[in-house]
Amino acid sequence: MTREKAWPWIATAARAGLAGVWIAAGALKVGDLAASGRAVNAYQLMPYETAKVVGAVQPVLEIALGLLLLAGLAVRLSAGLSAALLTIFIAGIGSAWARGLRIDCGCFSAGGELGAGQSPQYAAEIARDLGFLLLAGILLWRPRTRYSLDGLLLGGPTDGGKR
Amino acid sequence: MSKGERDRARARRIVEHQKAQARRRTVTMWTSVSVVLVLVVAGLIGWGMLADQEKATAGALRTPAAAVDDGTAFAVGNGPVTVDVYEDFLCPICHVFENESGATLRQLATTGRITLRYHPIAILDRASNGTRYSTRSAAAAAAAAEGGKFSEYHDVLFANQPAEGSDGLDDARLVELGRSVGLNSTAFADAVTGRTYWSWAAKATDTASARGVTGTPTVHVDGKAITEPSGGPPRPATLEAAVAAAG
Repeated sequence: MTREKAWPWIATAARAGLAGVWIAAGALKVGDLAASGRAVNAYQLMPYETAKVVGAVQPVLEIALGLLLLAGLAVRLSAGLSAALLTIFIAGIGSAWARGLRIDCGCFSAGGELGAGQSPQYAAEIARDLGFLLLAGILLWRPRTRYSLDGLLLGGPTDGGKR
Repeated sequence: MSKGERDRARARRIVEHQKAQARRRTVTMWTSVSVVLVLVVAGLIGWGMLADQEKATAGALRTPAAAVDDGTAFAVGNGPVTVDVYEDFLCPICHVFENESGATLRQLATTGRITLRYHPIAILDRASNGTRYSTRSAAAAAAAAEGGKFSEYHDVLFANQPAEGSDGLDDARLVELGRSVGLNSTAFADAVTGRTYWSWAAKATDTASARGVTGTPTVHVDGKAITEPSGGPPRPATLEAAVAAAG
């Protein structure tokens, strides 16, 4: 397979992967919005009233973004918004690390402050988010993917190569 | 093919290309608008879910008569210095803290030096296999306060603390522990099994979060957070010093 033929497949895998990440991250938090708000509050970056709203909006937003990526609608825009969100998360974790807070990032759970026996995993959390950012970067660079609504509407690679 | 035919063919291709590009731009614009709309609606749904939850909590709120501090805590003693203790009955470090410093706090309260205010909060609901032990135990403690036995029930809950990640104690066991400290009324049992104080537990937790409590145990002496230099919960000597400094 030549490189030009391989890219749509690589980008398709990135799209599916990023969609799965968002849907999982949102689904794990959406069941307890109060806990999600407390996890945001634990970063101590905004007043509690604001953190509560952010904590409630975020999981639903993550699920929606995941579903949009899964459908492949306006992939470049969805990937750009994903990259923006991930950058905010990385900055948040970095700031918690820099201030010496002892919290779980709350990325895939309603985290919050850690108990005495636990240690924060900031480096691993940031590395993981950088991996997700790479997926978003691939899609920003090569947004044309197989099996996408974009392909269906615009014409182009949608059906595994057959035109 | 003559030169004129070739030119016409090329012009046709250019026009077709431009038409296709214009079409793609239109499609891209509308798909982008759709994406933004979907995300805005998703955000509003999240906000709406939060508002619904808060309304349900406020509507079902029942506050024990003995509760102090805007109805979110239970007091022991009435000394001049206020010591607030925020605890989750599932939190193992809270159990350690109670074993190490609980007696000191009670003694400071009974000798009239402090007003000890216990705030049972529920931040570890995710660690009891979906049975919400943190909420159930905090609500049961509120029911015990209504029955006049908060301190006794608080102590027996920690003495019988289940492990994090287990199902926690079931409601029947919570009622049984109540009976062991003299809470024999059906009112207590009904409050435990009927989830009477679940909304109260949610409100107490929310109030603590608004005060910047992000973990348990958290100890405030006259509103100021007190820890060991290591960041751990305060031991007796540190508590005594903080109370002496505040008083």
